[in-house]
Amino acid sequence: MKTIFLVDDSATILLSISNILSKAGYGVEKAPNALDALKKFQAGVKVDLLITDLNMPGMNGIEFIKEVRKLTPYRFMPILFLTTESQQAKKAEAKAAGASGWIVKPASADELLNTIKLVMR
Amino acid sequence: MDEITTVFVTESREQLAAMEAALLELENSPGDSDTLNAIFRSAHTIKGGAGVVECDFIVAFTHVVENALDKLRNGEIAVDGDLVAVLLACSDHINALLDVLESGMPAPAADLQADGNALLDRLQRGWLSGEGKQSDDSTPPATSDGTVESSGGGVVETDCWHISLRFGQDVLRQGMDPLSFLRYLTSLGTIVRLETLADAMPAADDMDPEACYLGFEIHFASSADKAAIERVFDFVRDECTLHILPPRSRLADYVALIKALPEDPMRLGEILVRVGALTQAELDVGLAAQQATEAAATEETAAPPLGEILVEQQVVQPELVEAAVVKQKQVGEKKAAEARLIRIQADKLDALIDLVGELVIAGAGVNLLAARSGLAELTEATSVMSRLVESIRDSALQLRMVQIGETFNRFNRVVRDVSKELGKDIELVVSGAETELDKSVVEKIGDPLMHLVRNAIDHGIEPAEARAAAGKPERGRLSLNACHDSGSIVIEVADDGGGLNREKIARKAMERGLVPAGHTLSDQEVYNLIFEPGFSTADKVSNLSGRGVGMDVVKRNIQSLRGRVEVDSQPGEGTRFTIRLPLTLAIIDGFLVGAGSAGYVVPLDMVVECLELPPQAGDSHYLNLRGEVLPFIRLRDLFEIRGEQPVRENVVVVKAAGQKAGIVVDELLGEFQTVIKPLGHLFRNLRGIGGSTILGSGEVALILDVQALIHLAAHRDEPNAILNRS
Repeated sequence: MKTIFLVDDSATILLSISNILSKAGYGVEKAPNALDALKKFQAGVKVDLLITDLNMPGMNGIEFIKEVRKLTPYRFMPILFLTTESQQAKKAEAKAAGASGWIVKPASADELLNTIKLVMR
Repeated sequence: MDEITTVFVTESREQLAAMEAALLELENSPGDSDTLNAIFRSAHTIKGGAGVVECDFIVAFTHVVENALDKLRNGEIAVDGDLVAVLLACSDHINALLDVLESGMPAPAADLQADGNALLDRLQRGWLSGEGKQSDDSTPPATSDGTVESSGGGVVETDCWHISLRFGQDVLRQGMDPLSFLRYLTSLGTIVRLETLADAMPAADDMDPEACYLGFEIHFASSADKAAIERVFDFVRDECTLHILPPRSRLADYVALIKALPEDPMRLGEILVRVGALTQAELDVGLAAQQATEAAATEETAAPPLGEILVEQQVVQPELVEAAVVKQKQVGEKKAAEARLIRIQADKLDALIDLVGELVIAGAGVNLLAARSGLAELTEATSVMSRLVESIRDSALQLRMVQIGETFNRFNRVVRDVSKELGKDIELVVSGAETELDKSVVEKIGDPLMHLVRNAIDHGIEPAEARAAAGKPERGRLSLNACHDSGSIVIEVADDGGGLNREKIARKAMERGLVPAGHTLSDQEVYNLIFEPGFSTADKVSNLSGRGVGMDVVKRNIQSLRGRVEVDSQPGEGTRFTIRLPLTLAIIDGFLVGAGSAGYVVPLDMVVECLELPPQAGDSHYLNLRGEVLPFIRLRDLFEIRGEQPVRENVVVVKAAGQKAGIVVDELLGEFQTVIKPLGHLFRNLRGIGGSTILGSGEVALILDVQALIHLAAHRDEPNAILNRS
């Protein structure tokens, strides 16, 4: 079973996405902020895909992606970030930080799963 | 009839006229593709319009005609006289069908229907079925050629999208696996063929193991649209090079889609995006490239158009760009044509012109009051206003001006048909087609002209043998000419035939008692006899003329337009009819003069100059105008105005049809705009007066018929005035 790590400061989003993912048969790890998540990554959590929000208190998503990429096990792991239509500029920044792609919020279950299917090894 | 049907009928008649002209043109230059296209377009437009107004019988008929024209256009059938004749007949038939539509009948009458079927049958059997009348071997069997090409394409063609993909080097580092794209792609369709390209792979020493050097060429069979396929590569498209070209079959679909787009003005990119041949992202890249080249472009090297850039970037096929450009041009042309022409109801224009007439009269009233008041400021203000009124009047009248060319063009067909019927070879030469005149005049001049033209063909131009015997070219020549001449329009119908037979006319006139026996007449007077009611010299009555009804009607029609017609003839050389018409029927610039207590108006454009009557002129009817003999006429004498003659009299020198004369009046009152009001029925035969008008003061002034006055002044001493009146 593939495991997806989900980081978002919104409990609603965490819950809704993890529900979709669980139903689709993925294992889900969650963290409400980047720092907590980073700790788990530094501890070597076993993950196939990371989905993170960009705009979070404490460490923001872009910093977080950069930090994760520095960790050897996760150098080629697909990373998706959550964004909105209005945040087009952030895409390039996030891509430069090492993200693979994005999911535009709000996304339907199909869109979400399709995107995951695209990037998942 | 609803508005759209009215517009359709009007438009279609114009199209038919254009089609007919083009068909005649075709006889002279068969195979001219512009002409062929024009003909096809006309038929096509009519059919399209008929579809919109749901007139099935026109659609059905025109459809077959269009088919034939399409084949003609594509060179599948050749132009020959028979075909042109049938097509002309078809054009006539469509005209008849338009009549049916206009009359509100649901379907054409049985005989008309039968005519139509017969025509279609002729087209079908003669040209549409099978090989038809392939005239010669100059046209290779184009049909078979075409089919080979369309089916032959399928030998190597796999009907696939072609996706060309070069990954950016960072793809792996961004956590993407090139394989995952391919895997995902299969959820949209089937990868038919895949070629992995490693040409970007550097030597082992230089190779970065974390970088991606791969590229793919993919043949992809899918029913997904371009945007959906492009979306697969969304995450990498900024770093990779991606070209998605549609399959061959799609190409035709796109072209069809482009053609079917609504006729909105669109940019090239918009058109391609709209039909899905180009994605917005591709367009953005192309536009950015264009901007970049534009910035770099110097004056000598203009930036290439977007279409070229898109083709170069391999995001669309050249065929599609071409189709889009054609579409764009069509829309543009259509818009331009729409901008050039506005259709309005003629009666709206007439109402406007009536109002302008009232405005002119009211303006004259204001001017008069201002002049009386003696207030300089008021006079100045009103003079500005009257200048504006004048401009408004001219522009309003200009609205009704149409070129006479359209009327002239009708005669191409008439000359062709009539001369064929009579077995004569006659060429029609038209000049001055761009001359403009009032629409109401144009409408009424058609019939008299038709008569003159038919007469010229029937009586004027001799049979070929007679021409040859007289040493003239066998091909007869009929010319229609129009030009402006001092405020009138002159239309000439001239032939190079045998000329009027002076003796015969004179003899017939005597027989009929039109002229007292033994009377001597000038040539001009004899020729004018042909305008007498019931006069005909033709020995036999033909289909066309000779019934003795005609020339008097022609003359009456022209007179009712305040015009006149003259005939001039040289034995053996031909006959020339000259019709002189006022430019407009409604408003003129007038010159007001006084005689006795009344005011009279002389049309200003006929006034040459004004001078004081030299005292020595006395009671003679001529004066010496700088060495020129000028006949003059006193209004006081002519209209028998009583009362004291003023000490000082003035002469208004007028000119019409190249002839000058003086009109002696008491006072010169200056120019002003005049709305012509026709005279009542009772005064119709009054000589020297052409109409009336209302002055600013509310008084009525009579408008002088200058041509009649000149005639009177010049011929006053001649006894047979009956023949000279006109």
